[in-house]
Amino acid sequence: MFTIGKLAAQAGISTDALRYYEREGLIVPSGKTGSGYRLYDEGSIRRIRFIKQAQHCGFTLTEIVELLVVRRRDAACCGDVRSLALEKKLQLESKIRSMKTMSKALDALIESCANESNPVDQCPILSALEQASLPEPVH
Amino acid sequence: MKVEIFYSAGCTQCAGGLENLKTAARQAVDNLEWREINVLEEIDYAVELGVLTLPAIALDGELVFASLPSVRQFRDRLIRQMAKQG
Repeated sequence: MFTIGKLAAQAGISTDALRYYEREGLIVPSGKTGSGYRLYDEGSIRRIRFIKQAQHCGFTLTEIVELLVVRRRDAACCGDVRSLALEKKLQLESKIRSMKTMSKALDALIESCANESNPVDQCPILSALEQASLPEPVH
Repeated sequence: MKVEIFYSAGCTQCAGGLENLKTAARQAVDNLEWREINVLEEIDYAVELGVLTLPAIALDGELVFASLPSVRQFRDRLIRQMAKQG
C-alpha cells in the first residue's frame, strides 16, 4: 500500500495530478491509515500507467473515463474500444489538417514580406492580417 | 443522390441500424448511390467531410448525421435533400 506521496513518486506524476484524477473518479484509494491518510494499492499504479498511455495517444481525461467505463461493461467488446480509438484518430487527423492550413497561411504571409528592413508600418504581414482575407497559401 | 455511410469495422452500433436505413433510402430515392465506407480505408476523405464520430452519414458529399439517425429522421432528411435538388 502507498500513501499519495509514494504513489506519485512511483507513478512519476505530481500529487496534485493524483488528487485531480481522484476527483475525476479515475483512481480510488483502497483504504486509509489510522491517522486518516489515503492509501493506494498496486492497481492504482496500473491505472495511472493506463491514464498516461491513453493521454500519450491524445485521449482527454473525460475520454479516458469513457474507456474505463467500456472496460467495465459486460456487454462491451473490442469493437467498442476500437471505435473510440478511431474517433480519436479522426479528431487528431482533423486537427493536423487545420494546423497544416494554418502553416500554409503563414507560408504565404512570410513570402509576402520580401524586405525585412521595411519600417513596421509597411509590414505586409501585419497589413495582410488586417485585411478581411489572407493571401492564398502557396502550394 | 449519393449516400455515404462512414463506419468502423466491427462496430455493433453501425451494423445494427444500417440495413433499415438502406431499405428506407431505396424506397425514398430513385437514383440512389449507396456507399458504405470503412473509415480507416478512406480516412482523408472522412476528415475532409468533417467526420469526427462514427457512424456518420453524408449526403451528396455533405456530412448530415454525426450519429446513426432513426429511419424516420433519415427518410425526412432524404426527402429534404431531394427537394433541394429539385
